[in-house]
Amino acid sequence: MFEQLGTAILDLLQLKFLVPLVIGTFVGVVGGALPGVTITMTIIVVLPFTFGLDPLQGLAAMTGVYVGGSAGGLVTAVLLGIPGTPSAIATTFDGYTMRRNGEPGRALWLGIWASCFGGLLGGVFLIATTGPLAAIALEFGPWEFFALFIFALSMVVGLTEDSLLKGLLAGTFGLLVTTFGSDPIMSVPRFTFGTEFLRGGFDFLPVLIGIFAFAQIMTELEKMHGGSGSGGARAATPNLKIAQLKVIGEILARPVLLLWSTAVGLLIGVLPAIGGSAASVMAYDQAKKISRRPERFGTGIPEGIIASESSNNANVGGSLVTIMAFGIPGDAVTAVMLGAMTIHGIQSGPLFMVQEAKLAYGIFAAYLLAHPIMIIVMALGARFFLRVVTVPKSALVPIVLVLCTVGAYALKNTIDNVWVLALFGVFGYALVKLKFPLAPVILGLILGDQIEVNLVRALMNDPNPLLFVTRPISALLLGLSVASVLFSLWQRRRQAARLAALPETAPDF
Amino acid sequence: MRGFVRPRLTGDAVAGLVAVSVSVWLFFVAGDLPQSALVPIGPGFYPRLVLGATALAGAALVLRAFLVGSGAPAAGPAPNYRLVLVAFVLFGLYVTLLPLLGFRIATFLFVAAMQSAIDPPRTRRALLVVTLVALGTTAVTYLVFERYLYVLLPRGTWTDF
Repeated sequence: MFEQLGTAILDLLQLKFLVPLVIGTFVGVVGGALPGVTITMTIIVVLPFTFGLDPLQGLAAMTGVYVGGSAGGLVTAVLLGIPGTPSAIATTFDGYTMRRNGEPGRALWLGIWASCFGGLLGGVFLIATTGPLAAIALEFGPWEFFALFIFALSMVVGLTEDSLLKGLLAGTFGLLVTTFGSDPIMSVPRFTFGTEFLRGGFDFLPVLIGIFAFAQIMTELEKMHGGSGSGGARAATPNLKIAQLKVIGEILARPVLLLWSTAVGLLIGVLPAIGGSAASVMAYDQAKKISRRPERFGTGIPEGIIASESSNNANVGGSLVTIMAFGIPGDAVTAVMLGAMTIHGIQSGPLFMVQEAKLAYGIFAAYLLAHPIMIIVMALGARFFLRVVTVPKSALVPIVLVLCTVGAYALKNTIDNVWVLALFGVFGYALVKLKFPLAPVILGLILGDQIEVNLVRALMNDPNPLLFVTRPISALLLGLSVASVLFSLWQRRRQAARLAALPETAPDF
Repeated sequence: MRGFVRPRLTGDAVAGLVAVSVSVWLFFVAGDLPQSALVPIGPGFYPRLVLGATALAGAALVLRAFLVGSGAPAAGPAPNYRLVLVAFVLFGLYVTLLPLLGFRIATFLFVAAMQSAIDPPRTRRALLVVTLVALGTTAVTYLVFERYLYVLLPRGTWTDF
């Protein structure tokens, strides 16, 4: 394992891989820092640029975006009090307060180094567990895979904020889209209505870009009332100079907090559906609970920043484990990452580690290297990022839309896919306006084919449907699916009064 | 009749009704799919399973919307739906014109029009910025994708450009 990892790191240090990794990390940090531009959106925008690259170059760039984006959100969270990404929300609680207390450099670098340490610890977990988990998954038959995918979907559906029913409907919308085109076993055309274009079904990428990009862009546009709507207020550039060793010492002097927050981030990353924003808020909450002086949280203390940032970057490592070992995306960002892998010809899942070991270790190496690169990017560019967030949205919106269009078009060099993008753009915006969660749609889109293939394979092996509930692992996973939905219903009922009192929040893309 | 609340056709109810109608229609379409001797459940089985679940969830949503309502409307300033509509229309025009005018002309026009719709240029300087952003976006995207990533972007049937 270590030999393969060492070789992969040396490979990645070659200029042809290092350049996409550095550019990806840089773009990720910028995208993460821009309020209103999420990591998902940044990955979507970068994805078409990787079409012409070889798989490892492309995946190095995407991994860089993912890692950079997870850390980038903290720049504006700390310096402007506006989280660049939802996963940096908890960083504002103490980060921005510390900045207002006159310590912007300390607040920023505590966040950056905590991100780095949390991410690297997440990397150790990623490397150590992906192989063994994939080996377990290799023992799965179609019954277990079917049950696993249903479990993933039920987790996403169960965790939707507004309504379980809407989560369920959103999930079935996603599954439904995958039934268009030829059926995956016998290639019988379904719902094609005589059109040649629909014979191949809807390509995943234009659908995904349409739903997410438009939902987000249009939601931003509807908030604008005549004006350029710059991403953030132009702030006086603060002094960010700080003794780095002192900041590192501050973090390492709190090993329990760092390890605990990282563990929370990892666990939430591994579990489907929860995502980085919940990871950072939960780690912050946990840090407060284990603290001897919880009343100091929110007054600008390092613990708050360390908990939030180490957790949201460790979350990336956890999410990658689930993608690489099982082929299940944890949230929207990982769904796009999974889509990126598919576009580069990689079928992620348990066989990936065996059949594409070089590529898998390449991703590990890219993940590990992206962290020091992120530190360098931050050191050189933190002041620049503050200026970037003032780019007017009037310029940003059309540029992002053009890149989305090119991404959809370049997939198969056909304008039909651009129409699919537009169609699902309207659909995605309608879903957001009707308060349907988008994560179940995306998970349904990704898992739809696999659910069907495994269902059919299982029944072709043995037509007895009871095997789904008599094979132990399958039964356990299906039982967990039911339990997660029931738990969600119970929790919803219990918290109904409190949820009703909460102010409405923006959709977490 | 005091206390009687007349059911309103809320967003949830409409969404549920659309889900039910579309899934029932597709459910019957899927029933006409040919069966295979090799596969025990046939190509229509899985879609019908999903469509059945969609129809049930949709119906439950309609019922809930009529019985409970859809919750209070969001507070805060009214959304600028006019701008959203303009953005969708401009994007629709862009997609329509892409194969006719070609990527370079259509993209330049789209980026310029979109910027003007979001923040209308009122000074010469603003107009210059709009033009430069449109030109820059078109040129950079074209060069990167065509020259370095070997993606052949659409040429216009009207303009041959």
